[in-house]
Amino acid sequence: MIGKPQWFKRRKYTGWGFTPVTWEGWVYIFIAILPLVLIRVFSPMNQMGIILVVVWALVVGFDFADIILHLPKDERDMIHEAIAERNALWMIITVLAIGIGYQVSSSVVVGVSKVDPVIVVAIFAGLLVKIISNVYLDRKD
Amino acid sequence: MTQEKLAEIVGVTRQTIISLEQNRYNPSLLLAYKITKVLGRKVIEDVFVLE
Repeated sequence: MIGKPQWFKRRKYTGWGFTPVTWEGWVYIFIAILPLVLIRVFSPMNQMGIILVVVWALVVGFDFADIILHLPKDERDMIHEAIAERNALWMIITVLAIGIGYQVSSSVVVGVSKVDPVIVVAIFAGLLVKIISNVYLDRKD
Repeated sequence: MTQEKLAEIVGVTRQTIISLEQNRYNPSLLLAYKITKVLGRKVIEDVFVLE
């Protein structure tokens, strides 16, 4: 699309996403963010302003996703990324499960359901992605 | 041949070549074959030793 993956490298120690490694990458980030700032500063948050922000955010979001999917990485990078992301996922699932357990036990004590549906949906969405991934990988190999 | 040049030819990062030299990473068969070929050797065992 617009940004080239060669301008960036994968974030390994500071969260998810990518960070620029060339001047083109820094210019790209500046240009991606600038319209959002200009719209916010120079136009009121009426319907048109909100639509402009949403459209630009979608364009940038899709381009960011394309960059992340095509970031250059060799076999060692792929293995390290897979292990690190798997570990992060297990920690997230553990914390979410503890959160649900706490909410369920609180609900039982209070007598009113207080379970956050977003957490439940997140866990089931992750499970669905895992099932689909395993089916795809089994058929591929 | 420098590490960077070898990395560029076989399509990996210099860090991967360094890890290979320091025995901290086991390459895939394809990568081992590519490195062997670039170094002008005929068999993988001339470059890599199975321990």
